[in-house]
Amino acid sequence: MDFELLELQRQFEFAQQAKSSIRLSERNVVELVQKLHELCIIDFDLLHTVSGKEYITPEQLRYEIVSEVEKLGRVSLIDLADTTGVDLYHVEKQAEHAVVDNPRFRLIQGEIISERYWDSVAEEINERLQECSQIALAELATQLHVGVELLTSVLEARLGTVVKGRLEGGQLYTPAYVARVSAMVRGAARGITVPTNLSALWSSLQHLLQEMDGASGVAVEGSFFQALFNAQVKEGQILGSLRAGVYWTPSVFSNAQKECIDSLFSQNSFINYETLNKLGISQPVQFLQSRYPDGLALINAFVHPSLTEMVNAAIEDAIECGSWIDSLSVLPASFGSQDASKILSHSQSLQSALKCGKAFIFGDSFVFSVSFVKNLYDCLEKELEIFNASGISSLSLSDDVSSASDAKMTHVSSTSIESNQTPSENTGKHIVEKGSKKKKSKASGSTKTSTIEDNSDSQDYVPTKSKKNQKKNKDTFSPHVSEVKSGAKEDLRSQEESINVPSQEWVVQKAMKFFPDWEEQGIDNPLTALKPLANYLRPLLLNSLKEKRKALLMENANKMKGILGYLQGKVDEAFLNLQLYEKALELFDEDQSTTVVLHRHLLRTSAASIADILFINLDIYNKLKSGLEVDNSQNSEFISLNPGERIGLAKTFRGSLSKKAIAVAESLEGKRLETFMVALRDFAEDSGIVLKKLDKKLERTLLHSYRKDLISQVSAETDPVSLLAKVVSLLYVQFHNKALQAPGRAISVAVTRLKDKLEESAYTILKDYQAATVTLLALVAASSSDEQDCSSDRIATKRELLEGLMPQLKGLVLTTSQSSI
Amino acid sequence: MSVPAESVSLVSRIHLAFDLRRGSPTMEGWDPNTKSTLTKIPLLTVKAGPRDGGAWAQRLKEEYRALIAYTQMNKSNDNDWFRISAANSEGTRWIGKCWYVHNLLKYEFDLQFDIPVTYPATAPELELPQLDGKTQKMYRGGKICLTLHFKPLWAKNCPRFGIAHALCLGLAPWLAAEIPILVDSGMIKHKDDAAPSTET
Repeated sequence: MDFELLELQRQFEFAQQAKSSIRLSERNVVELVQKLHELCIIDFDLLHTVSGKEYITPEQLRYEIVSEVEKLGRVSLIDLADTTGVDLYHVEKQAEHAVVDNPRFRLIQGEIISERYWDSVAEEINERLQECSQIALAELATQLHVGVELLTSVLEARLGTVVKGRLEGGQLYTPAYVARVSAMVRGAARGITVPTNLSALWSSLQHLLQEMDGASGVAVEGSFFQALFNAQVKEGQILGSLRAGVYWTPSVFSNAQKECIDSLFSQNSFINYETLNKLGISQPVQFLQSRYPDGLALINAFVHPSLTEMVNAAIEDAIECGSWIDSLSVLPASFGSQDASKILSHSQSLQSALKCGKAFIFGDSFVFSVSFVKNLYDCLEKELEIFNASGISSLSLSDDVSSASDAKMTHVSSTSIESNQTPSENTGKHIVEKGSKKKKSKASGSTKTSTIEDNSDSQDYVPTKSKKNQKKNKDTFSPHVSEVKSGAKEDLRSQEESINVPSQEWVVQKAMKFFPDWEEQGIDNPLTALKPLANYLRPLLLNSLKEKRKALLMENANKMKGILGYLQGKVDEAFLNLQLYEKALELFDEDQSTTVVLHRHLLRTSAASIADILFINLDIYNKLKSGLEVDNSQNSEFISLNPGERIGLAKTFRGSLSKKAIAVAESLEGKRLETFMVALRDFAEDSGIVLKKLDKKLERTLLHSYRKDLISQVSAETDPVSLLAKVVSLLYVQFHNKALQAPGRAISVAVTRLKDKLEESAYTILKDYQAATVTLLALVAASSSDEQDCSSDRIATKRELLEGLMPQLKGLVLTTSQSSI
Repeated sequence: MSVPAESVSLVSRIHLAFDLRRGSPTMEGWDPNTKSTLTKIPLLTVKAGPRDGGAWAQRLKEEYRALIAYTQMNKSNDNDWFRISAANSEGTRWIGKCWYVHNLLKYEFDLQFDIPVTYPATAPELELPQLDGKTQKMYRGGKICLTLHFKPLWAKNCPRFGIAHALCLGLAPWLAAEIPILVDSGMIKHKDDAAPSTET
């Protein structure tokens, strides 16, 4: 065993023997501290660290906080909690205490910041500002992680001392930079000559700045420019006016504008709003009205009173001359029709003329004098007559009637015009002339073409017509027109369709024809003026037409009444006679052949005449009713129509009446009187004529008069042949109380029928006379074919014989009649 | 204030014990405090067994130096837990005591071990004869069971590890892991408890 080993052994043993250092466990320490608390040896708050291994007194913590802040200048509480190892709650509490104790500290958003820190920051900012010449506060704030407001408040206190610059709109600028930018603003503002929105200007300036500064350039806000600008405006470095804060009108511009407008207005005495708009005035009317209070604002332009006076003069002239004027032709070319109408509404002379009824305005800009319109109206009225006449002629059915009525129409209308025009003698004369001229042309086979020629003739003198009396004329006719309008319109409404109404186009066309100078006046579209004119004239024309028609109808109504009365009387008489005659036919009912002959005879004679009277008069009546002029003067008592004419006339009747009329006409060709009677009754009923029935009393009086008539005829009769028929009729009246109308062929039968009624002697006289008459008639019939020599003698002898017998026969009848009476 | 080393090592030991019982300890899982303690023990240089004569004497000196350092370390950390001394002059047999404080009670056991002839390639087999047959973590004759994770570490650090290392790495963790279990299961009783019970 060497020494060293022994030594080590000993040392090891010693080491093992050595007393080990005593260590208290953590728990023990905690318990000890608690014990100390309990014993009130520690009588203050004792904090412990987050790790739970350390105790710390509040004073120590506060001291640590303060020293930390002093060291760093700016410490967040969270960092403090980390560095001190104490819970954040206690740190916050003590930090508050520390801030209260220390006025140079501030607690801002969980951070304690000392003034020293701000000083250093301000210095830094200043250094940077001097480098960059401008810094955005927002940028700084984000860098420093503080609010802009806080930074602003901090910096404001140091502006001019630590920080050498200017704070504007969230930006820091150096004075040099501000001077530069304000110079830019001044330059730009002085360079502007037209009204500009400043924000646009600022954006361009911003652009410029950015280009100059390159990428490092910080965007300068418009408000900065605006502030500089406002300051310069206030100082009078820039001249102009600012509207709504951003709309800048340089005084250069406004001066130029005013001068321009002044010169334009004084030279032209009007100015278009469009020009003003071009000059940059957005509300030209207000501008001009405030500037030239005596001017007149129109739709498109603003005019000086002198222009209105010019128009006034032109209009006055036109009215004086009884002419017309397109006010547009007087006005500058840029004026529209609305402007013209507005000017017209302001024209005093025109207004007074309108008030007096001396002028009309058509189509905005056209002024017509009353005399002119009246003139045109007269021409058109005449034209219209022709138009209507031709229209009617086309309507009429049969040629002869139409031509007759046509001729009549022209005649009547011309006369009616004369009557219309009576208030104005001069024009009336003119028209008479014209009417005569027209008649002349009519007479020479006039149709439409000739009337047109006539028109062309009339054009020559129409414009030269005297116009002075026309005012009077106008006065007379305008109330008249209105009256007609109100009164007659409803009445004539139904008839209006049948009237030839002149269309607007027609009126325009005619007006063009009368006054071909429409185009000459340089009006590109004469229709603009003519249409309203036509619209004005058309109702007037219609009214005059209606008036005339009405007068005609009144006239016709009287005539119609006359005709109807006349017709009724005629038909009554004839029909009663017919019924009387019909009764007589009953006597011959047994004898078939005689009945037929008698029926036919009656149909041919009395029945036919009744039908004819009815037809002709009804036709006239219808014509009158439809307003046509019919001359019934030559309506002779008995116009006998042939069957063809009758049917033709029957067909002209309206609707069912026509059918019935045709039935009547056909029944005339038949063999039975009864069918005719039925058809006639039917027809008459429809056409409004009463057919009287024969009653006993009436029959007697009729028979009596018939008998008297016959007696007088018989006594006056000299012709032996016709005497026989009358005597036989008279005999029938005497014996049968029947009025017999017998044709020659039926006489013998009639005579034989009388055999048992007459005395023997009388009958023989009658028989002989009848035989002699027959032979005489036979001889006469034969003589037309044979040689005259002997037959004429025979006839003469027979005639003598008959004439000898006549007094006998007459006596036969007259005595009996007298005796019977 | 510094954290007491003992409390930390305590925790690490529990860790270790857990690992031991699972039977899959890893070097990586070694407690950093244990590790630091281990590194503070001076390493040995001489590779010599009891049969190597002079070399063994050198080795023995180094063993003593390491033991002294370890003991001083323990003392300064208030973690003194064993007493050993060489039982023969060659220093091949060592005897002494070791103890463990559980629930404020000190459980003390006899400690003995021989230096194997193949030392330092073979680690000494530490024996706790009093606990023989009381726990599974033990070979016959009270040799504690360290094989699973002590042996590779020892083999790796041959010849630098000595007796001090074997105690630090082997016995200390074993005690920390096994004694609380043995006490709780009633396999061992504190001498103060055992005496009255025997008396009664």
